[in-house]
Amino acid sequence: MIRFEDRAVEAGALAGELGQLGGRLMMLFATIPAGAQPELCALVRAGDAVVRLRAPVQGATYPAAHWFEREIHDLFGITPEGHPRLEPLVHHPPEQREVELPAEDDVRLAHRGAERLAGPGVFVIPYGPVRSGVFESAQFLVQTGGEDVAYCAQRLFFKRRGAERRICEVPLELAVLVAERVSGTSSVAHALAFSHAAESLGETEVPARAQAIRRILAELERLYNHLEVTVRECEDASLAVGQAQFAALKERLHRLCGALVGNRYLRGAVVPGGTRIDLDAAVLDLLTAVMTEWERDWERTLAVLLRTDSFLDRLVSAGPLSEEDARDFGCVGPVARASGIDLDTRRDLAYDGYPAFDVARHGDGDAMARMEVRFQEVAASLGLIRKAVASLTPGATRAELRPFTRQSALGAAESARGETLYWLEADGERALRFCKLRAASFMNFGVFNRVFDSQVLTDFSFIEHSLGLSPAGCDA
Amino acid sequence: MIRWFVRGVTQRRLTTRYPRAEEPPPAGFRARALLDPSATNPRQASRAVQACLPEALTHDHQHRLQLDAARCIGCGLCVEAVTDGALAIDPGYELASRGRRRLVVGDVQEADIAAELLGGPFRRSLHIRHVDAGSDGAVEQEIAALLNPYYDMQRLGLFLTASPRHADVLLVTGPVTEPMEGPLRRTYEAMPEPRVVVAAGTDACSGSIWTEPEVRGGVDRVLPVDVYIPGDPPTPIALLHGLLLASGRARDASAPSWHADAARSRAGAA
Repeated sequence: MIRFEDRAVEAGALAGELGQLGGRLMMLFATIPAGAQPELCALVRAGDAVVRLRAPVQGATYPAAHWFEREIHDLFGITPEGHPRLEPLVHHPPEQREVELPAEDDVRLAHRGAERLAGPGVFVIPYGPVRSGVFESAQFLVQTGGEDVAYCAQRLFFKRRGAERRICEVPLELAVLVAERVSGTSSVAHALAFSHAAESLGETEVPARAQAIRRILAELERLYNHLEVTVRECEDASLAVGQAQFAALKERLHRLCGALVGNRYLRGAVVPGGTRIDLDAAVLDLLTAVMTEWERDWERTLAVLLRTDSFLDRLVSAGPLSEEDARDFGCVGPVARASGIDLDTRRDLAYDGYPAFDVARHGDGDAMARMEVRFQEVAASLGLIRKAVASLTPGATRAELRPFTRQSALGAAESARGETLYWLEADGERALRFCKLRAASFMNFGVFNRVFDSQVLTDFSFIEHSLGLSPAGCDA
Repeated sequence: MIRWFVRGVTQRRLTTRYPRAEEPPPAGFRARALLDPSATNPRQASRAVQACLPEALTHDHQHRLQLDAARCIGCGLCVEAVTDGALAIDPGYELASRGRRRLVVGDVQEADIAAELLGGPFRRSLHIRHVDAGSDGAVEQEIAALLNPYYDMQRLGLFLTASPRHADVLLVTGPVTEPMEGPLRRTYEAMPEPRVVVAAGTDACSGSIWTEPEVRGGVDRVLPVDVYIPGDPPTPIALLHGLLLASGRARDASAPSWHADAARSRAGAA
């Protein structure tokens, strides 16, 4: 259970409180309590607790809050004070092709190491939302003089499908199906985060067997997402054999998932109260056999990759992210861990009976560090799957979801991309009146222009893929 | 580089022989629901309809169930909700169809549809331009999987192309969100004729679980769709089947048939 502290803050004092707490901003959103004025709610990770700050209105000038404030401005019309760049985030004109350079005193330029490019010959490449290759829709306005990137603006929310609204309006027992489809490659993490919140609204206990199955599925999902990033990076480096080898390893995982739960992306397995599926002895034998062989082939292929200079040369020192920036912007997941920040939702907001494990970390903060963190996590996930299989005890896999007794609850899970959060507010015993979800990519997209600071255009795809972002999750 | 060469040549052949040989999914795979059109218990029908989030299951005033395979996400909750065995789970296989209504079971038009080899403007190689109109991101990975050694779409003359000017096929994923409608239309208009539009994934076929105002509710609300590939997400084999269908090299899956497909699921489970 997450330890909560609740504090009401005076109008305009939110920024000061955030600064004083010194914690990591997890979420900032506006909610309208029944028959009352809208209020801002900030969730901050401070010490070993989550502090909930409630303020009547606006005002937090804090890098990690910028995107949240723009979102609130778009959706609720609440104007935050002192925001450096209050452009539309969610409801933007989709046809924009120009980018306005940040002013000289813009906070986003405070850390810049490179000289600013300016003058004739500097132009903007509007890249997206329809991009070359098979990619999700997002737009990047890259300002360049030809090779050096002067500034890169990211524009998201081309894919907003209204998931938060749907979660509240559909019957409660079907809402998890919506959560699974917010970010289709993190279905398990979204289903878990939603389920954790729904379970904590009514204090439902999840059976031990269901917890172990959830851990197996969550770690399988982490594996194929980390493989996806590896495949993309090999593709960018024109490493055709490596790309094919890692893609084949990824395909083997999807086939295993299809045989385990009937869906290649593990949908329809996790539900509030436990899991809908059980893993019987035959399926567990298959899992163990496939993973033993898979681990051997993964290690051999990875060993070759780590001795391929043409690959390493492209990643080392590309797209550096300082620890300070990663903290300021509230980065999560492998992106934060590769910049030296020690955080992992599986350990920090313990859930589903995860045993102790080593949280991967790296200090370099470049694209290679992010890959190395993922490689370490693959090894850790393989160990966690073995432990979870060994810990399976006979028993139920599902408990009835108990009627809600609390008004609101936070659910969290660590997806392959990082911390995934669901904030739910109950309407009576069996319905939801408000849902705010925050995928890991929402935080990590915030540093997109930071990591392009003084980089070159030819490294664009290496840097982008090393962040492992999901526009679908960010846009919801 | 020699190490990669050794890694590459020391492995056995992985590539599927599909479409020359069949490659059905594993037993227990949940591609879509199957409906027994003879089931008429009104209470059971109501339960099944209530358990269906994307409204793939509907019933008329006589409580006759109708199943729209283009909306079904294969969650299987309807199968759990009924006790009279009127519904089953289909592991699926070749699911694509050239007509939206052909994917509806229990519709009056079902009888006059025969699985036929349909002609089209293309015969062999296809160049494909993909556009994401608001998908969940998994369909993109399944499309990318078509390039892995298991499926290797290029052996069938299927190629992804960067420019819509070079494309024969527009492969669209997602239910078409409001901001993506314009870019999607412009990509279509940039393509030379003849051109074929393929909707990949249940949300692209019908909107599925997503509703207005954020989404338009399926690609065919915006563009004329030639091939529908349902699936949440569609498997790589289902995608290959749909693309072969677009080039006139495969048969239409037509509406899921209770008798033939239920027999196949039982055979697969045994």
